[in-house]
Amino acid sequence: MRLHVDIRRHAYDDLAVLDGVAFTVEPGEILCLIGPSGCGKSTLLGIVGGLVRPTDGRVSTEGALPEGSLNPFTFVFQDFALLPWRSVAQNVAFPLEHHRLTASERDALVAEALRRTGLSDFAAALPKQLSGGMRQRVGIARALVVRPALLLLDEPLSALDAQTRELLTEDFLDLWLRERTTAIYVTHNLDEALRLADRVVVLSRRPGRIKEIVTVGVPQRARRGPEAATTLAALRERLWSLIRDEAAIADREMVHG
Amino acid sequence: MPNTGTTRRGALGLIAAASVTGARAEVEAIKVGVLKLASSGPVFLAQDLGLFASQGLDVQLRFFEAAQPVAVATVSGDVDVGVTGLTAGFYNLAGKGALKIVAAQAREEPGYKLVAVVASRKAAEAGLRRIEDLPGHAAAVTQVGSSFHYSLGLLAQTHGFDIARVRILPMQSVPNVVSALKGSQVDAAIIPATAATPLIASGDATLIAWADETPWQVAAMFTSPRMIATRRDALQRFVRAYQAGTAAFSAAFLALGPDGTPQPGPGAEAGLATIAKYTGQSVASVRDSIPYMDPQARLLVGDIYRQVRWYQGQKLVDAGVDPASVLDLGFVDRHLDLPK
Amino acid sequence: MADTALREPGAAVRFRGGGFLPGTSRLAAVAAFVGLILVWQAAISFGLVSPVFLPSPVEIASALRDLTMSGELWRHLSISLVRIGSGWALGTAAGLCVGTAMALFSLARSVGLPMVSALYPIPKIALLPLLILWLGIGEVSKTATIALGVFFPTVIAVYSGIDNVPRNLIRMAQSFDVPFRDIVWKIALPGALPSIMSGFRISVSTALLLVVAAEMIGAESGIGAFVLQAGNLMQTDQLMAGVTVLSILGLIVGAALSWAERALLAWR
Ligand SMILES: Nc1ncnc2c1ncn2[C@@H]1O[C@H](COP(=O)(O)OP(=O)(O)OP(=O)(O)O)[C@@H](O)[C@H]1O
Ligand SMILES: [Mg+2]
Repeated sequence: MRLHVDIRRHAYDDLAVLDGVAFTVEPGEILCLIGPSGCGKSTLLGIVGGLVRPTDGRVSTEGALPEGSLNPFTFVFQDFALLPWRSVAQNVAFPLEHHRLTASERDALVAEALRRTGLSDFAAALPKQLSGGMRQRVGIARALVVRPALLLLDEPLSALDAQTRELLTEDFLDLWLRERTTAIYVTHNLDEALRLADRVVVLSRRPGRIKEIVTVGVPQRARRGPEAATTLAALRERLWSLIRDEAAIADREMVHG
Repeated sequence: MPNTGTTRRGALGLIAAASVTGARAEVEAIKVGVLKLASSGPVFLAQDLGLFASQGLDVQLRFFEAAQPVAVATVSGDVDVGVTGLTAGFYNLAGKGALKIVAAQAREEPGYKLVAVVASRKAAEAGLRRIEDLPGHAAAVTQVGSSFHYSLGLLAQTHGFDIARVRILPMQSVPNVVSALKGSQVDAAIIPATAATPLIASGDATLIAWADETPWQVAAMFTSPRMIATRRDALQRFVRAYQAGTAAFSAAFLALGPDGTPQPGPGAEAGLATIAKYTGQSVASVRDSIPYMDPQARLLVGDIYRQVRWYQGQKLVDAGVDPASVLDLGFVDRHLDLPK
Repeated sequence: MADTALREPGAAVRFRGGGFLPGTSRLAAVAAFVGLILVWQAAISFGLVSPVFLPSPVEIASALRDLTMSGELWRHLSISLVRIGSGWALGTAAGLCVGTAMALFSLARSVGLPMVSALYPIPKIALLPLLILWLGIGEVSKTATIALGVFFPTVIAVYSGIDNVPRNLIRMAQSFDVPFRDIVWKIALPGALPSIMSGFRISVSTALLLVVAAEMIGAESGIGAFVLQAGNLMQTDQLMAGVTVLSILGLIVGAALSWAERALLAWR
């Protein structure tokens, strides 16, 4: 499945947020979205996932959706969005409950998702008993359990400390390498982007426009090796120079409203 | 400057001292707790006619919303004298040695139609016409142990049935009773004439009887034993002025004409205006709610005994209360209906 | 002064993070209660306060014992408990429905908010004559008085509770195409539960408070009618005994609610 995003304009009341953002997401790729604070990344992700109605624009798919997906476009949220009164297993089961599944089918799907995210031992725990990293694993398990065709991740690791972030990046990459689920991944972190992305879309400050689409070119498996180091360092410089001035100006702008 | 200041303060002090000693020599202050009702008329008349002043009293009126708080305020000393209705609650309080009845206020007397027993529309249609029909029916009163409750008890006695055969429903306020009557939620009720008359006129209720058959002491003037002990002389002067007030009240409003209904007498117009002024009611509604009272404020002493015993029989007044102990008959001459 | 400890070489660091962590001690609560009662009894025994104004704890206790022995207390209490229970249940059910509707639907909210603001502050006792006209003097009007008193705080608790459920939980559910009904049942209502539970605390107290008002309507028995009559008759020991029963009832219900909160809101 290929995804075409073509947003001519998006505004909240008078506040223009996106202005001519068009790109295509190839099947099985991770597309990272970076840009200064407030440039409309979350808005863009919301539009793609059908949670925000664009002022003028359209998101369409091309080609068949993968078989058996219960929720083709699935979000992973920055703040995890777990139901605090439900256990880990019940949170993961949540998106299955309105589908026609027998209890045993559902339990099997949940158990599988928990296993893949390393949560099997925590099935009965409540969110408040978990660390931030474990909570986001629950968020990821909940996203995986519906077998998504496209993952929409909005800064999924930015609420976590640096080491946990490292760990989860690794784990996420492992998962992704097995499934190759198409993903749009919003992040502020250039290293994270360079570890995960096939391509990086750099947005300008608000109203967000595409400044450049940078192709990483090194396979994800090879990125930790010494051969890739110079390429990645150059790419990092490049990305940084692209967003540096934008970020500096955005930072000085008065907060809207 | 400091010099004149001192002088001025000195002068003010002198004037204040003079007025205090003056007050002590001539005028004695008495606080009186009353309700804004026509039955408090004698107090209002005595005040306006200068009857208290001529006894050397400076009477300050304190107005209350209900009878019970007047009794409580008299016990606590917030007022020196109270003038209101007698209830089971009053006797319970007085029975603890906290209150003494000194003189009379309103009483029931044939010809003075102030309290009505009425039937609701539905009950009347179903045959509730006379007092004798009441047993087996539900009758609304404002409160258990109120003067209305006793009135109903007296009617039951005179008409020869047991009050226990009437279901007494306390509704806590006259508007609540009126509402229950309007919706025919109760079969009967005993309420003031002022509330009954419009209901009868609109057909929402039918008159069964006026509660004026048997004379009885509805309200009285009372004080605390402490007041009697420490300010006997002032109290005696107060009673004298109060009696002059009841005499004026009686002369103005209470003479019965040839047709057996009250006729206005000397000072009626001015008296109504005075009472209207103090109660904040219209002259017309004051005129409609003038009760009978003894011109010399003499008590129906025997009735006080009967009330206490009746309430005790209904278990509304503590069995230990002795009627004699709630009375001080030494301030008014020739009380009526003295028990042997 | 205090700082010098740090400046002297080799001195231990002074602890300065204490306080601002009040706990609760059951012992202290009980001791305060007992102390209050002892002072009260002593004030009357030594003649500092006249028993005409304030019956002594001993008098109240003996009135309470007589009431219990004679079965009177249970007769009044059982009747009132039915009224309180049914009125509370009715008001709560209606409040839950209306509060939920106001939190979810623009029309219900536009109509409901000004309505609640206008009607909540009306003292229910002022409405008694109307309630009597509309509903009679039987159990219906008594139950309705309590239900009406319970309804408004419940509406407000439910409405504000749902309104304060984090928006992103609802977006999460929408992102999984969870149907509206399920979002209400599985997110809005459980998310509002803490607010609903504290609403219950208020509404239960209101119900206990209003039983006296409800039993102004031609009640021959019931703990409220008992208290009213004792007040009318100036039987202060009986009055205080009745009031004590009401406040014990309040304590019991409060404890039950605390227990329910611990059980239902363990996830917080
Ligand atoms: N629902 C909304 N209504 C009005 N304005 C909004 C809304 N959501 C976002 N905005 C505004 O739109 C702009 C873009 O917001 P958005 O969250 O898409 O930016 P972002 O790039 O994700 O920012 P960040 O990097 O801080 O997450 C911001 O100025 C934000 O304040
Ligand atoms: Mg964002």
